[in-house]
Parts: sequence; structure tokens; C-alpha cells
Amino acid sequence: MLETINLSKNFKDKKVVDGIDMYLEQGESVGLLGPNGAGKSTTISMISSLLKPTSGDIKLGGKSIVRNPSEIRDVIGVVPQEIALYEELSAYENLKFFGEIYKVKKGVLENRIQEVLEMVGLKERQKELIKTFSGGMKRRINIAAALMHKPQVLILDEPTVGIDPQSRNRILETVRELNESHGTTVLYTSHYMEEVEQLCNRVYIMDHGKVIASGSKTELLSILSSELTVQVQLSETSDHIIDTIRLLDHVRHVEETNEGIRIISKRDANILSAIVLAAEKEGIQVTHYQMETPSLEDVFLHLTGKTLRD
Amino acid sequence: MFPVFKAQLRKDKRNPVTIILFIVASIAATLIFGNSTIESNTEVAIFSSGPSAKEIENKWENLLNKNESSTFVITEEDKAREDVIEGRRDVAIHVMENDYRLVTSSYMPQILLVEQQVQEVFRKEAQLVAAAGNENTDELRSDIEEYMEDPPLQVQTQTLNEADVSKHDMGIQLLFGFTLFIVMFTIGFKVNGITADKVNGIWNRMILSSVSKTSMYSGHLCYSFCIGFFQTLIVFLIFKYVMGYDLGNFSMILVIVAVYIVSMVSVAMLFTGILRTPEQFNMVFSSVIPIIPIISGVYMPPGTISNVFLQFIADLFPLTHAMDAVLHVAIHDAGWSDITLPLVIMLLIGVVSMGVGINMVERRK
Repeated sequence: MLETINLSKNFKDKKVVDGIDMYLEQGESVGLLGPNGAGKSTTISMISSLLKPTSGDIKLGGKSIVRNPSEIRDVIGVVPQEIALYEELSAYENLKFFGEIYKVKKGVLENRIQEVLEMVGLKERQKELIKTFSGGMKRRINIAAALMHKPQVLILDEPTVGIDPQSRNRILETVRELNESHGTTVLYTSHYMEEVEQLCNRVYIMDHGKVIASGSKTELLSILSSELTVQVQLSETSDHIIDTIRLLDHVRHVEETNEGIRIISKRDANILSAIVLAAEKEGIQVTHYQMETPSLEDVFLHLTGKTLRD
Repeated sequence: MFPVFKAQLRKDKRNPVTIILFIVASIAATLIFGNSTIESNTEVAIFSSGPSAKEIENKWENLLNKNESSTFVITEEDKAREDVIEGRRDVAIHVMENDYRLVTSSYMPQILLVEQQVQEVFRKEAQLVAAAGNENTDELRSDIEEYMEDPPLQVQTQTLNEADVSKHDMGIQLLFGFTLFIVMFTIGFKVNGITADKVNGIWNRMILSSVSKTSMYSGHLCYSFCIGFFQTLIVFLIFKYVMGYDLGNFSMILVIVAVYIVSMVSVAMLFTGILRTPEQFNMVFSSVIPIIPIISGVYMPPGTISNVFLQFIADLFPLTHAMDAVLHVAIHDAGWSDITLPLVIMLLIGVVSMGVGINMVERRK
């Protein structure tokens, strides 16, 4: 339905997006993962026709939309990262405004406003001013505004940044419902791995402007099929013991976390006894350990050498 | 265009305080400053001292009040001095048999005018006394007055088109000046809505909608024009029909105001192009705009600003040309041909500012 071919964007001499190829099938929910500054927002700005690519192409139904953006504008709904609403107006008035600019017919506008308010769970508060809403409620109306013209593709740019868990769950529920019940194609960008794991059938992982991996969750996890994650707690930790573990055979990555030390190593290796031995040499006890199944977070760590929120 | 226009209108309907405040400010400023100028020119306290104080006061009150531009009122000496000290009056005059003293706290321009009048009366009286010698001065005065009823030399001042020279009315000038000055803020803050929409992402959402860029700009700019025109119209209607000011040919005044507001919307658009955030706009616009009426001489009698550089700067803004046109219409009964030049200049400023402003906004990344 929608695809990007070798899509690139330069700002002066800096390459922000570097040759991205991606596609979205109709009715699919696709995640675009990456840390801050990975180029996610620039990519979706190009897909939504707000930015012209420096090179490459974007096709909708096989037709290039770079020179004729009006075609994609009719089809997509974009939820920006910022709260793009009139704070001085009520939720109802904002949605009416967005309905009017999308030329939703007068006869159906009223029904559509009530429909989207129902979807985001704010029907009862429609007459209240946006400036009186909590961050989560504002984000929900921000999504509702993008739904006024019943878009076939919904592009959400980090829609859950800085909100409480309840609002976050509500937003994820709304997006899931749109995708599953209404057949809306979703492109969801986030740096929260768990959101993408929860919502998306396929994931593109971006870093430094490039797609470094893509596929379904199973496909991505298979990258780590030969690896093992061990979470270890020691009686005391020091830089020296971390360095010692890092130098052990088969260890790919070591990092200190709130829960102890997280180690990724080759699956077949007898890593646990090697760690216990290394710790004993330093006079340190292993107080707790846990073998973990790799997550997408581990995949990202494996591919980039850093965590998503670095 | 209409959804954008309506959204701006809804915002102001929710919070009309700013517009109301600006309307009230226009009226209050005109009344306060306009009336204080008139009052200080019209009533002057006089007093005398000594045993024949009453006689001296009555004599000079009669003579001084023959000039109609100021009214001289006999006042108790203590009260007259206290009024000057407290700032209730700018000047009082201590009259003596053949001399006078000005009692004032500062040497302001209007005091100079009063002194000129007083000096003229005392000089004439001294000449009369000298001419009368031992004769009766009152007899000589009535002879001269009789003679001057049909003087041998009569001077009549006329304008180039042979009409009578009209008297400049500072009250009307200040009415136009304050109204056109304050409406600049209303227009500026409304045009600033474009930058606000850009910064908070609404502009991008509109770009992605079915609304064209032309409609987005025209929605904002038409609204700024309408709200500015509405504010000015309300103020002028109040002054014309409630306070009885003579504003001259009202339809011509409204045409000038409309052209001025178009031009000023464009100047605000130019500021929008130069400045990146609504906060920057508010700071710079609010700092620059109050200087314009000062260098344009809006608060001063015509001809006060003679510095060529200041005049050049003032000419770059529509206010100077709008004031020129409205004062010609209201005070000198000017016709369309007399105000064509200021109208054309305002439109020219509008076209250039709008072109440059929109270009800069569009080029900004």
C-alpha cells in the first residue's frame, strides 16, 4: 500500500535519514523503533509529505507521491509528537475545526465528532477547554483530531510521551482497536519497546538514520536465538568485576542495571559457572541469577550496542 | 479559509478581554490626553496683591479675556499658587498695575502660548497709556476700538483653493492617533497567531488537510483585518455618535482606516517573517510599535518633528500616511484626490511587506 524506496534526507551536510526502504501493507500495524535522534520523525514527516526527501521515492498504491502529495494527504492521518490543538478552545470545537479543514460534510460532521470522542473516551468532557485537560487527555484529543476524516493510514509519532500509565494504556487500546476493528493501517513510532511489542505486527529498527533491522517480532528475536541473557546480582559490584566479566569468553555485552549486571553471551557457553568463578576470584558472592528470554530491547542492544533510551 | 477564520473568531469569543481592553484604552487615552491639552490652553488663574488688588484684577481680567483663545479667571492668590504646586494648573499669573509675573513649575510649550497672549495685552496697554499721556486712557481705548471696527488695512488668510484656513484640532488628532496606534497591537497579536500555529504544530496539520496554503494565510490575515477594523469602527462610532466629535466625511475616514489596516496587517506579517517564535514577536513588536507614533509626531502639533532621518523612518510605517490622510479629511475637508498619495503609499507598504513577510515565513525551516 505504502512504501519508501531508498529514502534519504540531508539537513545541510548532515544526513538525517539514510536510504530507508520500508513498506506498509493495508490493515497492518508497523512499528518504527529507535532512540531519540534516530531519524524517525524526519522519516514520517517525509512519508506524510511535510518534508521533501533529498533523494529516494515514496509510493502509495504504486504511484509516487513526492511530486503530488495531495493523494497521500487524503489517505493519511498524522498524530504529531507535540499537542497540536487550540488550547483556548474546547475538545468539541477543536474537533469541529479539524473536521472542517478536512472538509468533512456538514451532515456527518456532528456524528463523526461524537464517534471519535467515543473512541478516545472523552465524550463526557467534550465541552471543556483543552487547557484544562491533563497531558494524557490532551494526547487523546490529539489522536482524535487525526481521525476526523477516517484516514486509511494512521501515522503516530511517539503519541505517549510524558503521560501517565492509564492514559498510555487507553491510547494503546484506541490504536489497537483502530487497527483491528476498523482496519486502519498504523505506523507507530516510539522509543518504548514494550508499546511496539504490544501493538505491531512488524517492526523497523532505526539508528543513525538507517534501518538496521526489520521484520516480525519472531524474526527479530531470532537474531538473538544464538544468545542468552543473564541477570546477575553480586554481593558487591565494582568496575573491576564488570571488566573481568566483559573479558570472559563468549560474552557479547555487559551492563550495570538497577537490578544488577546484565550479560548477553553465546547461548551454548557455560557462562554461569564462568561468572561464579570470576566472582569468587575477586572474593565476591553471586547472590542471585536469572536466565532471560531475549526481548526486542536485547535485539536493539545487540544491533546498536546501546539501549533505546540512551 | 473560513474554518481558519472561524477558529480565530471562536478563540476571541471565548476570551474577548483583550479586544475590549484595547477599545477602552483607545477611548480613555483620547479623553485623558485630548482633554488635558484643551483644558490647559483655555483656563488660566490670575490674582493680584496689595490694597488695590481687586481693582487691578478686574482691570486685567477684562483686558485679557478679550482674546478668545484662553479664559483668565480671578482666583485667590493662595489657591492659584497651590493649584500650580499641586499640578492642577500649569500656570497662574500675578498681575500688577503695569506688570505681571508668571507662576509656574515648569516651562512647557502651552505656557509659552499663554505668556505670548499676556505679553501682547500688557504691551498694548502700555502703548495706550503712553499715547494717552495726561488724557483719559479709557476714552482713547474706545476711540481706537471704534476705529478698528473698520480698519484701513484688512488681512484675510485663505488656503490655496481659497477656502478659509481651518483651525488645527489636537483633540481630533489624538483621537485618530491613539486609535490607530492601539489597533496596531490588536493586528500584531492576531497575525502572530500564524507563528503560534507553526510552533505548536497546528500549521503542519492544516498543511496535511484539504485546506490550501492560500486559505490558511487568508483565514488568519482576513481575521486580523476584520478584528482591527471592527475595533477602530467601534471607537470612531462612539466618538462620533456618543461624544459628538466631528470626524468629517465618515465614509472617507473608514476607507482610509481600511487601507491602513490592510497595510498594518502586512507590516505585522513582515515581523512574523523575521521573528521565529510568538514570544519573540510579542517582545519585539511591543517594543518597536510605541516608538512609531512618537517619531511620526502623532502626539504633537503638525511640524514638530523636523529631523529628516526620523521623518524617513516614520514614512516607512503606514501610521504617518494614515494620520496625514485622516487629518486632511477630518480637519481640512479634503477630497479623494488629496488623499490618493497617502493611500497609494500605504498600499505599497502593504504589498512589499506582505510579499517579503510571507516569503520569509515559507523559507523558514
